[in-house]
Amino acid sequence: MTLSTQHSAARLPLKPAARRTGSAGSPDAHRRRIRPTTWAGLAFIAPMAIYFCVFYVYPLFENVSMSLHRFTRATFVTGAAPFVGFDIYKEVTSSPLFAPTVVQTAIFVIVSLVFQYSIGLGLAVFFRRHFPLSEVLRALFLVPWLLPIIVSATTWQWMMDAENGIINRFLGVFGMDPIWWLNNDHSLWAVVIANIWLGIPFNLVILYSGLQNISADLYEAAAIDGASAWRQFWSITFPLLKPVSAITLLLGFVYTLKVVDIIWIMSMGTGSSQTLATWAYAMAFGKGSSSVIRYSQAAVVGTVLLVVALIMGFVYLFVQRRQEER
Amino acid sequence: MFTTNRALRFAGVAAAVTMVTALAACSGTPAPSASSSGSASQPASSAPAALTNIAVWDPYPQHDANSDWAKYVQSCAPAGTTVTRTSSATSDLLNSLTTAVKEDNAPDVVMLDNPAVPDAASAGLLAPATDVGMDTSGFDANLAGPGTVDGVTYGVPIGANTLGLYYNADILKKAGVDPASITSWDALNAALAKVTASGAKGITFAGIAGEEGVFQFEPWFWGAGATLKDPGSAEAISAGELVSNWIAKGYAPKSAITDNQSASWDLFLTGKYAFAENGSWFAKAATQQKFKAAMIPIPSKAGGAAGVPTGGEFVLAPIHKDNAAAHYAAAKQIIDCLVSKDNQVKTGDQLGYFAAKKDLRAAQIASDPMWKPWAAAIESAQGRTTDLGPAYTQTSAAISTALQASLNASGDAAAIKKAFEQAAVDAKG
Repeated sequence: MTLSTQHSAARLPLKPAARRTGSAGSPDAHRRRIRPTTWAGLAFIAPMAIYFCVFYVYPLFENVSMSLHRFTRATFVTGAAPFVGFDIYKEVTSSPLFAPTVVQTAIFVIVSLVFQYSIGLGLAVFFRRHFPLSEVLRALFLVPWLLPIIVSATTWQWMMDAENGIINRFLGVFGMDPIWWLNNDHSLWAVVIANIWLGIPFNLVILYSGLQNISADLYEAAAIDGASAWRQFWSITFPLLKPVSAITLLLGFVYTLKVVDIIWIMSMGTGSSQTLATWAYAMAFGKGSSSVIRYSQAAVVGTVLLVVALIMGFVYLFVQRRQEER
Repeated sequence: MFTTNRALRFAGVAAAVTMVTALAACSGTPAPSASSSGSASQPASSAPAALTNIAVWDPYPQHDANSDWAKYVQSCAPAGTTVTRTSSATSDLLNSLTTAVKEDNAPDVVMLDNPAVPDAASAGLLAPATDVGMDTSGFDANLAGPGTVDGVTYGVPIGANTLGLYYNADILKKAGVDPASITSWDALNAALAKVTASGAKGITFAGIAGEEGVFQFEPWFWGAGATLKDPGSAEAISAGELVSNWIAKGYAPKSAITDNQSASWDLFLTGKYAFAENGSWFAKAATQQKFKAAMIPIPSKAGGAAGVPTGGEFVLAPIHKDNAAAHYAAAKQIIDCLVSKDNQVKTGDQLGYFAAKKDLRAAQIASDPMWKPWAAAIESAQGRTTDLGPAYTQTSAAISTALQASLNASGDAAAIKKAFEQAAVDAKG
């Protein structure tokens, strides 16, 4: 009920505007009537438009342009990089590193998101009930967010040390063999674990604020009807939290897709922990194993990441519209 | 009450729309002109305006603005000028230099790690030494080698360093190992077996991905008889097996795959490790420990000292278009000051490096007994880029990948063989 009121409120101001543009049938009348306001409108938009062009459009254009020209360190300086069309796209996608990197990126993003979201949601529901020290405890859960990543990632690297790490000591208590966390085979799981830990506070905060918007009346009514806590969660909390969940997951997706820092500090993107983002970073700046600069190849991977994020944006819009239609 | 939801939904739509429009708008923007705005042809610039501020970039961020090194560089500024020093890590320095040269905004002097010099020179970032007018004569050929690319010399070594095998004399004594006996891989492996049996740990080295790990691997690589021209040879594979087996047998820590040279040195300083492969720049620190640390040359496979790579930076003058003569004149004065006959040893001492001229180095080594075991190593050290020039960067990347795979394979001979055979393919680019 709450949600449907919201929707109509959001739509109302749109309607007169739509009618106005729709009624402007003749172009002459349209021009005469709109002009002064158009100029004023343009003036108001100008700062935003200029900012948008300088800081978004131009860099994005440069990125795409770079992926279509063969840049090396030398041609970057002279600016004489030859245009090669989609050759570099073909090279990158047919590279033996491409397919495994895409799979690893998918695992990294999906596993991170699933756990961050479900743990964050669980904690958010848990903190809905006020109990002594709940505020303090909730604040403590934000620590991963407040720590500089260089600190938390280095700490994870120490904790996951194969010989002296606290995690392996802990596993040893249960008689498990020590795990070489940061070697090529396991490094993906090592960085996923660290990234889940890092992402929980973000999910917790947004979902918790979403929970504040669900009326307590609904829970009271449900309690009177004899609904169990489990039933209340699935029938009230989860459905009413859907819009917030959607934006949390979209933002989480984009944030996780672009993660470089935590992976880089822990494993330098070696072995299975190489994702599209760390691969692009390594090629663009000559970091990691190879100090050969590969601007164009990095731009290709950057463009691929951009397109994926874009698709997710569309998916979000689609989900959004469907929710509004209901 | 519903503000949060609405704000969130608006943010989501705005983010998505931004991304959509951004891409759509890209197709319409004209390509930016690539031509540089250099005004080299202006006749008015025939009389160069002397600089009052000289920009120097170095890769020594560990020396801050108040350090002795900063003051020392400042003292090289000619009368009426000041030096502005900027420091960042080597790989970042080369990237920044690339952008700066593109904008004709490069520093007057840059210090680059020696294997990066051919790469920078072939990308057109550096001014030939003859244009700058610097004196490049008298430096040892093995140390000055990386400064010459395709017959053109671009700069001179600010100093030099190399690698050796440090050992913890207390641990070796307890385990009954005579350091003088360690002259081959077999002897080293036997010593590692003995010290680990005595309860100590074996050896630390830096296997980190990238040039730093390759630098540390090269003594074993060359010591096996492999050459950089063929990283897939049986000799190269045997070097990979050597270090990989250390991990498999627990002689070396598994963290070697991510340790850089500072991290592996810190492990050695815990006093638990018998050996550490590390650089001459730690020679002073080695004399100041609670345990007795000393150095022996790194052994080759068959016996005798292995070839070790030269380390250390080159002082260079980046390319300038506008007012080039004044920039080069400033660069010449700073470089001459840093590597002059009187200052070369001082510069070396500041950085923990050897002087790159033989007679000056002889005096430096004689002045401090800690340098004595290093004398032969630095004389016989090889330039990393001598064989391959700018192609070294690609080969080094291939070897780094193979080294990482070998260390991860933990002694698996088939995996190591495959990794180095792949390196031979990757090295060709």
